[in-house]
Amino acid sequence: MNDFKWFSIGFQIITDLLLAGGLWMILKKCNMKGWHGLIPGLRFYDLGIVGGRESEGWMAMVFDALNAVFRFGYYFIPADAAVNGVWMLLWMVAAITDIIYEVRVMDSVIRTFDAPKRYSFLWVIMPWYVAAKLGFSVNYEPVNLGRYNDDEELAGTAPADIDAAIDDDPSDDGLVIHLRNRVVRAKGRRRYLLKDINLTIPNGSLVLLLGGSGAGKTTLINAVIGYEKANAQVSLNGVNIYRHYDEMKHKIGYVPQQDLLRLNDSVRRTLSDAALFRLPKDIKPAERAKRLDDVVETLGMTGRDDGLVAKKSGGQKKRISIGMELIADPELFILDEPDSGLDGVIARELFERLRDVADQGKIVIAITHTPDRVVDLFDKVIVLARDSGRVGRLAFYGTPDEAKKFFEKDSMERIVMSVNSTHEGGEGRADEFIEKFAHLKQEGGALSNG
Amino acid sequence: MAEKRRYRGRFAQTGIYLGKLFRMFVYQNDWKMLPMAALIGGLVTFAVGTNVFVTQEGTMNGCFSLACVCVWNGCFNSIQVICRERPIIKREHRSGAHISSYIAAHMIYQAVLCIAQTAIILTICGFAGFKFPKEGLVTSYFLLDFAISMFLITYAADMLSLAISAIVKNTTAAMTVMPFVMMFQLLFSGTLILLNGPAANIPNFTITKWGLQSLCALGDYNSQPMVSMWNMIWKFRGYEIEGQKPIEMLTDYIRKNGLRDQFLQETGAYSAVEAYAHTADNVILCWFVLLLMIMLFAVVAVAVLEQIDRDKR
Repeated sequence: MNDFKWFSIGFQIITDLLLAGGLWMILKKCNMKGWHGLIPGLRFYDLGIVGGRESEGWMAMVFDALNAVFRFGYYFIPADAAVNGVWMLLWMVAAITDIIYEVRVMDSVIRTFDAPKRYSFLWVIMPWYVAAKLGFSVNYEPVNLGRYNDDEELAGTAPADIDAAIDDDPSDDGLVIHLRNRVVRAKGRRRYLLKDINLTIPNGSLVLLLGGSGAGKTTLINAVIGYEKANAQVSLNGVNIYRHYDEMKHKIGYVPQQDLLRLNDSVRRTLSDAALFRLPKDIKPAERAKRLDDVVETLGMTGRDDGLVAKKSGGQKKRISIGMELIADPELFILDEPDSGLDGVIARELFERLRDVADQGKIVIAITHTPDRVVDLFDKVIVLARDSGRVGRLAFYGTPDEAKKFFEKDSMERIVMSVNSTHEGGEGRADEFIEKFAHLKQEGGALSNG
Repeated sequence: MAEKRRYRGRFAQTGIYLGKLFRMFVYQNDWKMLPMAALIGGLVTFAVGTNVFVTQEGTMNGCFSLACVCVWNGCFNSIQVICRERPIIKREHRSGAHISSYIAAHMIYQAVLCIAQTAIILTICGFAGFKFPKEGLVTSYFLLDFAISMFLITYAADMLSLAISAIVKNTTAAMTVMPFVMMFQLLFSGTLILLNGPAANIPNFTITKWGLQSLCALGDYNSQPMVSMWNMIWKFRGYEIEGQKPIEMLTDYIRKNGLRDQFLQETGAYSAVEAYAHTADNVILCWFVLLLMIMLFAVVAVAVLEQIDRDKR
C-alpha cells in the first residue's frame, strides 16, 4: 500500500511537470510568455488567446483558480459534515466547469496546431500527454494563430490621412465615414476590429458591402450608424451621427440579418406599431396611415398585408422586416444580408425595391453573400478584408466595374475569395489588395471618392 | 442641424406595447395559461379536501397548496416572455424603444393575467367545497382579502420570473433556472423544512413564506381545532402498560364527557403560530413585503434589460 502511495505521488509529480513543461513550450511556440504555462489559471487564459477564444480562456482561468482554491482549502475547513458537504458540492461544480472550459480552450489550441481532433478527447483523460506532445514535438507548430495582433501596422491607408479628414468639417452631402479604428477591450486587452476606413457615399446610392466572414462588415455598419461608436467621424448630410445620435438614430434604418419579428402579431399591426415608434409624434394619424400604405406598396405587399406574420413566406417576412425600418423614411438605410434564405427571383425583386428606395435620394447599403445576381443594380461596392493581424480594413471602394478591374476578377464572389484567407478556402491576398488600394488612393487614382 | 423632432415617450410606448401583448395573448399561446391555472388549481384543491378553514391541518395544507399553485402559475406566466424575444427587444431598443415602457407594459399585462388566474382558482376552491369564512380582516369581505393575498403571491412570483427572464439570454437557460427557483420557494418557505440557526432567516426571502403567512392569518389558523393530536392518541388506544390501557381510559373519558371538541380546541391553541396572528396588521405586513418584492423584481428586470445592447450578435 505504501509503495502504491509513493508511486501515485511520483506519477502525479511527473504528469504535473509534463503538463507545465508542455504548456510552457506551447505558449513559447506561439510567441507568448512561456513561463505562464507554470501558473494554474493564467496559462489557460493565454492559451485562450492563442486559440482565439479569449472569453473561454478567461472562464477557464477563473474556474481553474476556483478549483485550486477548493482543492487546497479542503484541508483547512472545519470538520463539520454540513460544511464538508457544501464544500465538496461547490468543488465538484467548479471542477466540472473547469474541465469543460479547458476542453473548449484546448480544442481551439489543438486546431491552431493542426493536431488530430482526438487530442481534444485525450485532454480530458491525459492532459499531460497532449500538452507534452504539442509542446515538445517538432512536428507541431502553430499554423493558424487566432491571436489578434494589437500593434502591427500594415502599410496601407496612412493614418495621417484619416486624422486630417476627422479634423475637417463634415461634408454636407451624403454619408461621410472617417474611421480611424474600432477597438474593443476585453479583460484588459485591446483588440482592433477595424482600422483606417475613409470613404464618402453620395445620396441616391445603392452600395454593396462585401467581405469574408469576420472581415468586419457588421462591425463597420454598427460603427457607421453609431450603435457601437468607433474612433471615427461619421456624418450624414452634414450632421455628425455620433454627436447627434438621439436625433440621427431616427434617420437611420437598420435591417438585421434575422427577421426579428413577433410571429404571432398581424402584419398590419406590426408595421403600424413600427410607425408609432419610429415616426415623430406630431405626424397626424391620416398621414401615418398613408405612409404605411406607401411602404406596403413600395415593398410590393399591397393586398398581402393582412394575417399573421407567422403565416407569411420567408420573402414576405423579410419585406415586413424592411418595412418596419422603411416606414420612418430613413435617409440612410442599411440591410444585413436581406436576401439570405431567398431564392434568386425573390432576391432580385427585393433588391429592385431597394434600388427604388435609393432612387428616392436615400443611401442604401446592403451586405449580401450572393452579390453577382444583383450586382448590376448597385452604384458602388465596398470591399472589406481581414489583414494578417486579423483587423478589418478597406480593400476597395468604387463602382462594381472598377472593382472587377482592380481585383482582376470577373465576379464579386471571386473578389471576396481573393481576399479571404487560405484557411477559409480563399486566396489569402487581403494584405496585397489593402496595400494596393491605399497606394492607389495616395496617388490620386481614378477611383471614386475613396 | 434640422429641427429637433419629438418621438413617443415612455407613457405612449407603454400603451403600444400593451396593445401588442394583448394581441399576442389572443394569437399566441399565452391564453393557455388560464385553462392551465384552472387545471392545476382543480387538481390541488380537490386533493386538499374540504377541511380548509375548518381544522388547522386542513387550513395549513390548503393554504400551502394554494400558495404553491400561485407561485407555480406566476412563475410559468412570464419565465420565457422576455428571453424568447430578446433580439427583437434589442432591435427595438436601438430604434428608440424604452426598456422601462416595455417592462411597465409587461407588468400591467401580467397583473391582468394574475387577477384572472386568482379568480379562476378561487372559483374552483368554491366548487371544491372550501368553507370560506365571511368576515375579512383588512376589508369587510374575506374573499376579497383572500383574493388580494393570492393575487400578490401570484404576481410576486410572476415578477420574479420576469426578472429571471430579463437576466437569462435564452429560453433554455430560463427553463434550467426555473426548477431551482421553484424548489427554493417551496422548500425554504419554512413549512416543509424547519431551518435552525442563521439559516432560519432564509424563508424571509421567499414569496411563499409571506404568502402563506397572509393566507393562514386570514383563515384564522390559530383559532381552529387541531385534529392530528387526537387522531394520533386514538391510534394508540390499545397501548398497554402493566396490563392497563391508560390511553384508552383517557379517550373514553374525553368522549363520554363530551370533551372531545374542547380537547381539539385546546391542542389547537397549544400549537398556535405567532406569525399567523389573525390581525389586519399582520396581513398588511405580508402584503407590504410582497409588494416590496414585486417592486424589487421589476427594478431588477429594467436595470438588467437596459444592458441589452451589450448582447453579442
